[in-house]
Amino acid sequence: MSRGLRRLVGPVLLLVLGPSCQRNTAEEADPCATQTSPHNIVLPFYFPAPPVFSDPLTLEGMALGRRLYYDTLLSRNGPLQGLACATCHDQARSFTVPNGTVNVLPHVNLAWNSSFLWNGKVSGNLQDIMRFEVSDFFQVDVNVLRSHPEYPELFRKALGTCWITREDVARALAQWFRRLTSTHSKFDRYLRYEEMLTAQEVSGMSIFLSETGDCFHCHAVPLMTDNRFHNIGLQSTFTGFDVGRYAVTGNPIEMGAFKTPTLRNIALTAPYMHDGRFATLEEVVDFYSSGVQHSPSLDPIMTKPGTGLTIGLTPQQKADLVAFLHTLTDTAFVNDPELRNPF
Amino acid sequence: MNTFRLLILPALLLLMACKKEGSPTPAPDPVPSNFTLKLEHHVDGALLDYDTLRYINEAGHAFSITRLEYYISGIRLLTADSSDDDPVIPGPFYINGMASNSFDLGAVPLGEYTGATLLLGLPDTLNVTGGLPNTLENVNMAWPVGMGGGYHFMKFEGHFLNSGLPTGYAMHLGRNENLPQCVLQQPFTVGSSGGTVILHFNLNEVFRTPHTYDLSSGSYSMGSMTLMALLSDNCADAFTIACTP
Ligand code: HEC
Ligand code: HEC
Repeated sequence: MSRGLRRLVGPVLLLVLGPSCQRNTAEEADPCATQTSPHNIVLPFYFPAPPVFSDPLTLEGMALGRRLYYDTLLSRNGPLQGLACATCHDQARSFTVPNGTVNVLPHVNLAWNSSFLWNGKVSGNLQDIMRFEVSDFFQVDVNVLRSHPEYPELFRKALGTCWITREDVARALAQWFRRLTSTHSKFDRYLRYEEMLTAQEVSGMSIFLSETGDCFHCHAVPLMTDNRFHNIGLQSTFTGFDVGRYAVTGNPIEMGAFKTPTLRNIALTAPYMHDGRFATLEEVVDFYSSGVQHSPSLDPIMTKPGTGLTIGLTPQQKADLVAFLHTLTDTAFVNDPELRNPF
Repeated sequence: MNTFRLLILPALLLLMACKKEGSPTPAPDPVPSNFTLKLEHHVDGALLDYDTLRYINEAGHAFSITRLEYYISGIRLLTADSSDDDPVIPGPFYINGMASNSFDLGAVPLGEYTGATLLLGLPDTLNVTGGLPNTLENVNMAWPVGMGGGYHFMKFEGHFLNSGLPTGYAMHLGRNENLPQCVLQQPFTVGSSGGTVILHFNLNEVFRTPHTYDLSSGSYSMGSMTLMALLSDNCADAFTIACTP
């Protein structure tokens, strides 16, 4: 845990700041050492193992990340002054809020992701996206945290850092995001043989998980995303934000392609799609059934055998599919007191 | 169960073969020759690129490739007197055509081989839901339980020009009945100094011999045992093998 900067700056700062950190008792004691209790997230058998992160997951790290997430101090002196992460990412809506032109993405199971934001502008792991959120988006003023009565001690305990940097803020947030794991939807309980689905939900599931609806190829079980990019045919020409992944790669085959969003808690995160164009799940299903539009970069999966671009669901099938999408709601997750605003 | 036999005996042979004559140190070299398995993808000689409709298939359609993912397993190295003792590299190996695919094979039994065979996909013992570890790659390759379970052997997607209109195609292959058994007929030598076993996959072979595959009459194979059987037959000669020092 030792870091060069911390070793240099930390002791000096502590001498200046006060006597509580005197280090004359134990010669080898590191005044910046972490004091942490490890935490382990238990996953269902059908879940992929999460990737390995450089920081071990600890109660202190997660708690610090949680506090930062809900704290408007994080935006002080920055372009988003007055906002906290949670202002736009509300637990009750799976950490989204309805938004203007660019739809807010939920914070669910992002530990498994390797591309972030609708067009995948940031790639890497959680720590990389948090670095972006902290430095580019919020432009966090770390002096606000350094001069705070409690944060320096919280950072020291959680991360072993005596001089808070933006990188430390990103590290703490990344631990919190690892805690935002959803594994308790009705569909999860069905997969664990703990609960039955209704006949209608089963019918919807078979549409989802077969060629009839063909949703599973991109919204793969159990994360309900393949974390890749697809142009699903929302439109046939593209300008502005709608060019999607093309803005990042410049590759024409990615024109109009967006990251597949997870469908976990989808019933809670209206409106839908990158621009929030659909208000309800019924509208989304209508689109997939008969609204897909052709363009040269349309994802090959959207061209269906025999029928061109439609899957032609009956009203009953549409209702069944929507019923299945509702089984992806994890009420334990959105009501979990440990994920609430700690203030 | 030959496919899953460990390579202990061949590895021992390799150790012996690697020992240098007149070496001053009497202790046997504990490190066997190191081999790498490498997958290379091309379309009739042109290296695979993920962009324009630049390739032409046997049926005369211009096509592009946007996705290529598959497994290979049970790579059997054939000796002249082909027997049950031929060494087998069991795998399975998950291949993403968009990445570079190199795998450490450790020791490969030295010798002159007349060719090889391999499975483009998974043996039936692994092709069951939960048969592979739950890595992200494997869960994305899952074949839904309601459609038979197991995994996709291959996802091969792109666009083709259908009467002038770029149209998507998705050649998805799965189900034990459709497991391609590929025959690689190039003789090759595995020498003592280690090296790279290279498998070349010519994607255009998927569309020809023995069947000329017409994308305009079957652009989506998953769910169609007929189309998958055609693809499976065609894949049998899609790979070639070489070994370089
Ligand atoms: C003003 C509203 C707003 C605030 C405040 C906000 N976000 Fe977001 N967040 C969004 C929007 C909108 C998106 C989708 C943007 C895009 O993809 O281009 C998003 C996307 C994300 C994503 C990407 C998720 C994915 O699936 O790729 C992460 C991670 C994220 N936000 C974390 C944070 C963190 C951490 C904070 C606080 C430091 C924060 N957000 C504050 C609106 C906000
Ligand atoms: C080819 C891949 C693909 C297939 C197949 C697919 N989706 Fe999607 N889905 C996506 C992508 C990509 C988006 C985001 C598109 C955008 O916003 O431009 C999306 C968005 C959604 C959304 C909105 C998510 C949100 O957070 O706004 C829902 C709901 C949805 N899909 C359900 C389905 C259903 C139901 C099916 C089957 C009928 C299906 N999808 C098939 C890739 C796919």
